[in-house]
Amino acid sequence: MSEAAAISIDDVRDEAHPLVDKDLVRWHLIAAVFFMFTAMLGGFIASLQFLNEYPFNGISWLSYGRLRFLHTNEVAFGFLVNSFVGMLYYAVPRLTGRPLFNRTLGWLIFFVWQALVLLTSIGQLLGKAQAVEWGETPTGFRPGTFELNYVPVDFLIEVGAVLLAINLLYPIAKSIHKRLYVSLWYITAGMIWLILTYVMGNTLPEWTLAGSSGGATAGLYIHDLVGLFVTPFGWGLMYFFVPIILRKPIWSHALSVIGFWALAFFYPLNGVHHFLYSSIPMSVQYGAIIATIAVEIVVTTVVVNFFGTMWGRGYALRQSIPIRWFYTGMVFYFTTCLQCSFQTTLTFQEIIHFTDWVPGHAHLVMLGVFAFWNMGMIIWLWPRLTGHEWYSRRLLGWHYWLVMLGLLIMFLDLTAAGLVHGFMFKNMAPWMRIVDSLKPFWWFRTFAGAMIITGVSCFIYNLWMTAKHDKPYDYRVDLVHDPKEAIANG
Amino acid sequence: MDRFPSIILAAAFGCFAISMLLSAVYPWAITDASQAEASIADVAANITEEFADLKKSYPVSFRQKLGEAAAAADAPLEAMQAAHAEALQRGRDLYIAEGCWHCHSQFVRPVANEEARFGHIRTPAEENNALQRPVLWGTRRVGPDLTNEGGKRSNDWHVAHLHNPRSTSPGSVMPGYTWYFRKGFQVFRRIDPNKAEVANIDPDTSYPYPGLYDTEEEAREALETIKANLDPTVAEEGDRLFVRESVGPDGDALCIIAYLQWLGTWFPEKPTEE
Repeated sequence: MSEAAAISIDDVRDEAHPLVDKDLVRWHLIAAVFFMFTAMLGGFIASLQFLNEYPFNGISWLSYGRLRFLHTNEVAFGFLVNSFVGMLYYAVPRLTGRPLFNRTLGWLIFFVWQALVLLTSIGQLLGKAQAVEWGETPTGFRPGTFELNYVPVDFLIEVGAVLLAINLLYPIAKSIHKRLYVSLWYITAGMIWLILTYVMGNTLPEWTLAGSSGGATAGLYIHDLVGLFVTPFGWGLMYFFVPIILRKPIWSHALSVIGFWALAFFYPLNGVHHFLYSSIPMSVQYGAIIATIAVEIVVTTVVVNFFGTMWGRGYALRQSIPIRWFYTGMVFYFTTCLQCSFQTTLTFQEIIHFTDWVPGHAHLVMLGVFAFWNMGMIIWLWPRLTGHEWYSRRLLGWHYWLVMLGLLIMFLDLTAAGLVHGFMFKNMAPWMRIVDSLKPFWWFRTFAGAMIITGVSCFIYNLWMTAKHDKPYDYRVDLVHDPKEAIANG
Repeated sequence: MDRFPSIILAAAFGCFAISMLLSAVYPWAITDASQAEASIADVAANITEEFADLKKSYPVSFRQKLGEAAAAADAPLEAMQAAHAEALQRGRDLYIAEGCWHCHSQFVRPVANEEARFGHIRTPAEENNALQRPVLWGTRRVGPDLTNEGGKRSNDWHVAHLHNPRSTSPGSVMPGYTWYFRKGFQVFRRIDPNKAEVANIDPDTSYPYPGLYDTEEEAREALETIKANLDPTVAEEGDRLFVRESVGPDGDALCIIAYLQWLGTWFPEKPTEE
């Protein structure tokens, strides 16, 4: 990582020809935070339906079912894509020593992407959604025909992803370094997988394959969007930011490459585990189960590598808020994946499938891991992008504890609810008895959601005030090599 | 691309291709490849009893949505099949658009006593039809599974449930879909209070005749027709026909109900009883 550190110093010196277009990065992060908040608010309001306290009953376009589309799709396409793209626009030029392919193209992608996310949400609220989880983005065509009934968002997202790939893969191809750092492996492959996955998931189950074959590809899509788009970008950026902040190289480069190959091979084979006991052939289901358990080995190598890197820098957890977010996320990542290798077995599936256990798991991975990492990265980058010191470090602490504890409560609560549901169901309890038993858990879930929203509101207020107030950020902090001093001030 | 390590490209494309081969092409090859996907016309050919009843119970909404040809009392089979296909397609689209599939699965598993609770487990052949593209298995059950919903409950139950789920299932957390209901005028009949007592009916209960009309005039015309056709031995003094504002399911609601009443009624090969 010494190369990346050296480039960052050059960048500070040469303001006239910066490697990174800071405005582009900043606006992607602003869009990301905006969609994160609307998505979370959507999820919170939707949770009120479970308490029969839903405020918009009777308004078709704000009904619970449609708002739920908005919640999951804005998290994926509004929050995570924007945040990752902003971070990649920052990291890739620094890792390769080359600016993006084209800055104007970058701005074009930015505006088109925000329009597409908004059109997705509007289309879903108007009833144009499709029935592939996370692929609910409107095709714009009436199902099974070529009659347009809305903007063809699916198709435009595919074009946008290809343009993004051109912008990001060009500097990687022209890198000034002979060897590519492991981040660039993840980013290159992740970019290609994003395109392949999106095209696969938005064509096969909707246009060509019905029933069980379509179910297999829909399962692949749900899983690949997490495993082949979010995960490689997330880890790629962790491999970039953690060594920079800790001022030491990654513990083992060999382990990092093993992690990459194992992810590339095993992750895409997992998809069918979303539909165990279905009419998909049993041999395929067993294959997916074995591949899922194998992923746990990958995860262990990666997590060991990062905790090895942390060795001797434990105080960073207390002093550096970004590191705290990153490593909390890694602990949750390990938990999620460990959970995965158990819950993918047929024994666990019998009880937990179709219950609240599954949303608990989904929140742990999407919020507890990837949103945590992105918020940590935003916290590290924001002073460097705006040139202002953080408005309030105390509020950053409130943000961390509210969101972290809120998520923990939500996860434990939904997991317990899932077990109650699963066992009552198996024991033939009448359906309404099950629903009544789950209501206390749903109240807790809404409470946890309120904690998370409050924490994120602290964060947004802090971001806003940091951009507005006038205490300048001291760039010399980035030039300090002594880890103790750098971490304490960074 | 002078320095671009081709090994990363190989990892990205190669591993993705392997996964497609093992988890998409292979299962397709051993299940659905041998049999063509059934079209909507195929699955709509067998008209459910409940679909015919929707026409009788909600004639105006039925006519408005599915056309005069099918709405006629003596509609030919082909017209009814075409209307059934249209209703299934529309009902399925609304089922997707409202996110019904987020809380109701169509996926009975051979474990956890699901067969005892929800009935028949679908085979790949049964699922290989145009209404299962995209597949509507779902991943969460806040409400019960709907795989075999067809014929389980009456149309009227579905109408009441769609309007306010708590009216039929106390404690339910499902939202009411009131925007699939329209206002209009309907003919009601109030029974002679003395006779009602004999028949053990609440004397204040008046019951509606099928047909929710957009204007009061249409409803009055319908009233005259009903009056002319009343059986004089049943119609006694004290019975009263009158027109009043009312609410009922619109054409879209009928399509949703037609779809729900179809679920589980169509099989490419009927399972043999043993």
